[in-house]
Amino acid sequence: MAAADSPSAALRRRDLCSRGIRLAGKMRSDVVDLLDTYVERQGLDASASVAAVEGVPAAAVERWDEQTGTQRLLENLAAYRAFRVLLSQMLEEHREQLGEADAALGRALASVLLQVSAFAYHLEELLRLESRGPPSEEGAPPPPAPHLGLFERKLRGLGVLRELAQWAVRSARDLRQLTKPSPGSGSAPSWAESP
Amino acid sequence: DSHIQYERVGADVTMKCGSMDWDAAVTWTANGTDIDESHLNGSYLILKNVDLTHSGQYSCYEGSSWHLKYQTYLGVGTPPKEPVLMCRSNNYPKGFYCSWHLPTPTYIPNFFNISVIHGMREMVCEKDIFPKNRCHIKYLQLFSTVKYKVTLTVTNALGKNSTTLTFDEFAIVKPDPPESVVAKPVPNNPRRLEVSWQNPSSWPDPESFPLKFFLRYRPLILDQWQHVELSDGTSHTITDAYAGKEYIIQVAAKDNDIGTWSDWSVAVHATPWTEEPKHLTTEAQATETTSASTSSFMPPPTTKICDKGAVVGSGAVAVCWTAGLVLAAYGVLFI
Repeated sequence: MAAADSPSAALRRRDLCSRGIRLAGKMRSDVVDLLDTYVERQGLDASASVAAVEGVPAAAVERWDEQTGTQRLLENLAAYRAFRVLLSQMLEEHREQLGEADAALGRALASVLLQVSAFAYHLEELLRLESRGPPSEEGAPPPPAPHLGLFERKLRGLGVLRELAQWAVRSARDLRQLTKPSPGSGSAPSWAESP
Repeated sequence: DSHIQYERVGADVTMKCGSMDWDAAVTWTANGTDIDESHLNGSYLILKNVDLTHSGQYSCYEGSSWHLKYQTYLGVGTPPKEPVLMCRSNNYPKGFYCSWHLPTPTYIPNFFNISVIHGMREMVCEKDIFPKNRCHIKYLQLFSTVKYKVTLTVTNALGKNSTTLTFDEFAIVKPDPPESVVAKPVPNNPRRLEVSWQNPSSWPDPESFPLKFFLRYRPLILDQWQHVELSDGTSHTITDAYAGKEYIIQVAAKDNDIGTWSDWSVAVHATPWTEEPKHLTTEAQATETTSASTSSFMPPPTTKICDKGAVVGSGAVAVCWTAGLVLAAYGVLFI
């Protein structure tokens, strides 16, 4: 494994960040489109307020500009791993509920799930470059989907997609922060320095 | 003691001369001018159906001694209508500002109170010294799905009114227009104009929060704009300008991911480079008519102006089909 600050590692890091930024932008665009479709197909009000949903990682963060590179990567990775589980559950529920009746929504969900998985992979690779490695996912199985009525499931899905749309914007910003040189050092971005 | 009182337009106003009895002999003045006795009921001053011209300083003097017995400033006005409130972030991610005004004046002093709620938290909106109908809020959280709720209440002596705005963090992001827009001709290129600009100085971190840009341009003689969207960089070369025509150019900016486009920048004017006209001699004329011309054509005024998609070819020799047929005919005549 290349040292975290070797030239090849720096190039790989920059490449992963650039690709990640583009992926985050595409993901956000697709999630916004999916939100419109989801609201329409589920008969929801687009302006409905959804209270914080248990198990859905909130993108909201205080003192965002003070986070270290490691914090950004770890928080992003935890979020996208959670979204991977949540979207899989949504896809499963969608298939149970509608079967092939709404294939378009199913395909859109599957596409976003794929992008979320790809983004999680990018984050894992970035953490590996840091010589830290991503936290293990092995061990406890993902939490089961809560037993909710149909309407509650629809609202939960709305909350998941809204939060994912925010995360996609945050992730692009986070990755751009990672590509910025740290003040007072060479071209390497700050990763593990204390806030 | 001097008093102040505010009354609605159209109201009937009765002023007592302090503690003087109703039957006391008094003289009332308005802004130093004696008021006719026909407006008096005993020592009371009666003003019916007041309007804005009744605003002023009213004084009451005891009849014989001319001692000042009572003084009041009367302000005639109206209760406030629903205020107009706007919130915007032109310095994301630092914060946002809200500004307000009344749709119609009240003619008497008004007091504004603004509250900003984000979830369960009440945020402080710091009032600007100038302009005084504006305040700004620093973001405590970023990337939140929780909406902001801003309520503005306006109060004066005759009533109160309020308005509420609810919005997402991303929805109000609108940068200021790009600055220092410059457009220059490109030497030896009669169809090019080089345009450059700078990020608005109010945008705090363009490296982490890059802007994208929208450029529009048209020759002064036409109404239809051409548009170009640019995802990075702060310069662009226009390559399809009409030779010799003066252009007007503007640029707008938007955060790469969120919010809305800025207003258009200040317009700049530029004309593409043109060759200096030569003084023609008989010899020079003969030389020109026998050589094939590869320079760009200036379409005659009656030529149909094409959309960008209809232009065939590229660079300096791009022409519309309609103009091409006409000019090809002229070309044949001179070969």
